[in-house]
Amino acid sequence: MRKYWKFTAIFAVIVLSIGTFYVNSARSAEQYPEFEIQTVSGDAKEVKPVVLEGAYTNTSSMNYVSTNVKISAKGSAYNSRSFLDQIVGQSPTLIKEFQKKYHTFMRGKNSMVNSFFEDQQFLVYADVENKVSSLLSHDFTFQLSVLNKEDDSISSFKVKVPEAGELDHIFVEDVQLMGDEIILITQNTMRENDTFYDEKHIYTIERGNHKITSHEAIIQVPQGQLDTRIDVELVRTSPAKANDHLIMVKTERKVMEDPDGDAMTEEVIHQEILSYDLQTKEKETINLPDLQLDENQLSFYDGAVIYFMTIEGQELVVTPYSLADNQAGQVYRIPLSGEEGIAHGQMTTVKGGKLYVASSQMSPGLKIDADVIVADAQTGKTLFKGKLAVKDASEQPENFEVYLNEIVVK
Amino acid sequence: MKNYLKLVNFEFNRIAKLFAVLLGITLVVQLTGVMVISKGYLNMANEKIYEEMMTKAQFLEDFGRMSFIQIVKSVWFMGPIALCIAGVAFYIFLIWYRDWVGKNTFIYRLLMLPTARLNVFYAKMTSILLMTFGLVAFQLILLPIENAVMKGMVPDEFRVDMGVIQIVNSVPELALIIPNSIVELILYYGAGLMVVAILFTAILMERSFRWKGIFAGLLFSALAIVVLIAPLLLQAFVLNSFFYPIELLGIEIVIGLIVLAASIWMSGFLLRKKITV
Repeated sequence: MRKYWKFTAIFAVIVLSIGTFYVNSARSAEQYPEFEIQTVSGDAKEVKPVVLEGAYTNTSSMNYVSTNVKISAKGSAYNSRSFLDQIVGQSPTLIKEFQKKYHTFMRGKNSMVNSFFEDQQFLVYADVENKVSSLLSHDFTFQLSVLNKEDDSISSFKVKVPEAGELDHIFVEDVQLMGDEIILITQNTMRENDTFYDEKHIYTIERGNHKITSHEAIIQVPQGQLDTRIDVELVRTSPAKANDHLIMVKTERKVMEDPDGDAMTEEVIHQEILSYDLQTKEKETINLPDLQLDENQLSFYDGAVIYFMTIEGQELVVTPYSLADNQAGQVYRIPLSGEEGIAHGQMTTVKGGKLYVASSQMSPGLKIDADVIVADAQTGKTLFKGKLAVKDASEQPENFEVYLNEIVVK
Repeated sequence: MKNYLKLVNFEFNRIAKLFAVLLGITLVVQLTGVMVISKGYLNMANEKIYEEMMTKAQFLEDFGRMSFIQIVKSVWFMGPIALCIAGVAFYIFLIWYRDWVGKNTFIYRLLMLPTARLNVFYAKMTSILLMTFGLVAFQLILLPIENAVMKGMVPDEFRVDMGVIQIVNSVPELALIIPNSIVELILYYGAGLMVVAILFTAILMERSFRWKGIFAGLLFSALAIVVLIAPLLLQAFVLNSFFYPIELLGIEIVIGLIVLAASIWMSGFLLRKKITV
């Protein structure tokens, strides 16, 4: 037995030390603080359906690894950073739900919420495949998949993008199903000789016989002059719902070089708001001369009313506009927390006649607080005002940051 | 089984000296590194505070506190680890070739033993594994000791205290050898085991067929790589991301096990029928 000592010794050392390490590692899973949405004023019931998703980083140590966290009124849940979870990956909440409910259908589908449409009976998916056949020409094909929820049948088919001669690039911005027609709203980049211009395009595809019944350009974005830039953006809507109108904001911006440094600043010169009726394929301009949206990603269209939102100083200015009445309602302002009159990034959404606003950043070290506000979408009356806080103040780490990127109202 | 264990013991005793040397180098170089870097930080602090008249608070704001992570990311720490990895890689070949050295080649006696010849293969494989895990275990033991040394040298206000587990979690380079969970440990070192098996098979092919053997060995390795990458290539180019990521992992694990089994079988075949002394 004496001559076996080296081998047994090393074996014992290995088992003991690696074993102890992993037992300890499993036991002391990193202590993350528990967050909640603390009520500052108003009815806490209003914030019950709100879930915020983002990433938490403990910046006290020199560790810049972040962990995904879901925070709701009651508390927070962290995504364990276990290996298997990392393989599964991060996708938006809606995509994860689809993957759970419709496992087979979701195979091979991309993770963009805008590529999907869901109603009682169907789940529709649309994407564009780009085959580069030579330096100048591409072959674009729409790939569609329709799941009939009632009998679990899946119909997948491809349709070539028509008149793709001048098309340089195309991607699907929204998918809708109206009756038996699948409607794809796309952002196309067209190439005419040497110039490029963008346009928003609509393709209508018959669900039954898989053919494109019609397609046309909704709006073309002319190329700006040397120092101007023109964008057309769709106003956000609830991703899986159908709307019979598309609201677009066309903004012309002047790009200037900052005299002090190399930074470029932009100034809005001209803005136009258009509504496009998906049934009649007609465009109409919405006249709101006093409205200037510096960025578009805050506004929301819930199918009946367009809520134009922009941040002015430390307030969220909301202009509700009823499409049916063709009239703007009363403009209201919601105060946000911030410093020196500047509010930080926000996320907004509208559901069930209520407006939900949440800050996208919480950094106690930089004195940035994260608000959560629920207001009546029509009148702007604040129903709930709260902020993100660590449940047990004594557990609060020295320095941390939370960046939020999704607000979901169940 | 007893024969296998005896062979493992024999093989391990042969490595023991190399192993001890690697452990010694790691201990000495890393500990020296801890002391050098801590002293360096303290010297800088002294210079800034007493000679350039910076206040303590100002110094902490400009240069930050010292944390063990700075030591881990330095050459003093990573150097010995790299050396050990090179040592193990080198020995994967030496463990076989040293048996053919000399006039009365040792391999002759090994192959004449009254035991299944695969046991020789398994024993050499196990020794490589023992050496690798032994180095990892030694590092895990060294870490708290080195951490304590740093704590002893740098005063409280100037350092950030971190537990061993926190340190391992914060440095991605360490996570390669000390993965964050048992599942990853099994996956990473299992993959390593498969690579060693493939290398052993290639070595045995060379020892069986000399020049043609080298070519056969390279061919075998290339085939193994192709088989392993096949699901990934299929997923990307043919099937359009048909599989969910976790399914792909499952497929890869199964294929890995198949390649491991094929290597072991091939090695056994070569040892029994084709090897030349």
